[in-house]
Amino acid sequence: MTTDPTTIQVHQELDVRGLNCPMPLVKARQAIVKLDVGQVLKVISTDRGSVKDFQGWAKAANNVTLLAQSEEPGPDGKTLYLHYVQRTK
Amino acid sequence: MSTALLEADVLAALRAANRNEIFVHELYTALQQPTNLLLLDVRNEEEFQMWRIETRHTPETLHLPYFFFLEEEEKAVDQVKERVQDGRPVVVVCAKGGASDYVAERLREADVYAINLAGGMVEWGDFYDVRPVTEQPDYRLYQVDRVARGCVSWVFISKGEAAIVDPLRYGERYVKLLEQQNAQLKLLLDTHAHADHISSGPELAKMTGATYYLHPYDAIHPFDMLPARMEYTMLHDGQRLKLGALQIEVIHTPGHTLGQVNFLVTAPDGETFCCTGDNLFIESFGRPDLGGQGERWAPLVYDTIFGVMKQRVPSHAWILPGHYASPAEANAEGLYVKRLEDLWRENHSLHFDDKERFVEFVLGHLPYMPPQYVQIKRVNIGLSSPSLDEADELELGKNICALSG
Repeated sequence: MTTDPTTIQVHQELDVRGLNCPMPLVKARQAIVKLDVGQVLKVISTDRGSVKDFQGWAKAANNVTLLAQSEEPGPDGKTLYLHYVQRTK
Repeated sequence: MSTALLEADVLAALRAANRNEIFVHELYTALQQPTNLLLLDVRNEEEFQMWRIETRHTPETLHLPYFFFLEEEEKAVDQVKERVQDGRPVVVVCAKGGASDYVAERLREADVYAINLAGGMVEWGDFYDVRPVTEQPDYRLYQVDRVARGCVSWVFISKGEAAIVDPLRYGERYVKLLEQQNAQLKLLLDTHAHADHISSGPELAKMTGATYYLHPYDAIHPFDMLPARMEYTMLHDGQRLKLGALQIEVIHTPGHTLGQVNFLVTAPDGETFCCTGDNLFIESFGRPDLGGQGERWAPLVYDTIFGVMKQRVPSHAWILPGHYASPAEANAEGLYVKRLEDLWRENHSLHFDDKERFVEFVLGHLPYMPPQYVQIKRVNIGLSSPSLDEADELELGKNICALSG
């Protein structure tokens, strides 16, 4: 997972700010199957636990790859956790 | 206090009330005896490996990360169902109680009796068990145990005055206990500057006006070589303190840290208690390397245990340690106490009569040192002030203060 997130072409964004585990993953799963194979979903979360959760999910699921993860400060100062997930099947 | 309800009562009460949720104190009470419940831990592999729910009667535990319930719900549910065909309850656990709630609901839809642990491991990690060691007319002693971390603190009360030895992070818990006991906090005694958990000693001193004591050798950070930035009163070997009818003697016991001390408490009825901090435990003893000087400090551990302790602590004294590695170290009452004479016999790490072999053994059994231990020591001597979240993260998991094996 060494891809530079700024080079990734994102096809859809999913904003799950304010939602806690397990909702970021639940919503990401629903969103990813609506994309075409090969397309990328960018998930924006405020839940710190989502970092490990997306890693675990990508390992367990057979239809996604986690291309990259990054952090950035949000407008209200809270850290945003970004996940770039590609549908592979 | 966790008393009253027996295990069967807790689970029966939950079932009768049709509750889908259990609180940590209820779960802790239920796990004081063997139970048939299945613990389903749905956290990530890494978190599960780092720490999990353990008590004197740890139930059968199944680890199945929650995203399996998203990805392959039927298969995951079946895997749980197989284990509980007799209808026994499943308690579902995650980090904060959210994912476990989701999983418990899926299981209930499949007719499994599933209960969510409210607040998850965060709440479990913050749970303190308080139980009396002895309650005499002129003095009382309580064990305050932070169960998930294996950290033990001790509260002495005599004639309306109280002392806390190695106060753990949440100071307000002690304030509450002392209010119930109608006692005023007088002495805050840290056996050493801790590396594994944040002491509430300095904070409680500010809050209550009690005096916070520490040995000056531990007021210097062993890695940074910087002095403490907080108020404390210096302890020294041979110092005597008084608490109501109790006499307290300070014994310098270096090894785990340079400034580690024991507090030898003598009661009017002749009983003696020795708070050993991270010197002697019920099993094993404190590792000498958390200050980065394992090879230099290991011989001090030998001198302290086989010299100082043998000479100055009466063999009938009750040893009250600062940690345990396993809940199996408790006695039948759930207390981490043992007379020193029994410890010499039963603590297998003490069966040495040769300093060189002892040091070799110690250096050969040093476990992994969590990197956050350096930072926690900074916090404990006022060199750093973490936010609540940062403090939570620093203290995550079980203590690793004893030797391994």
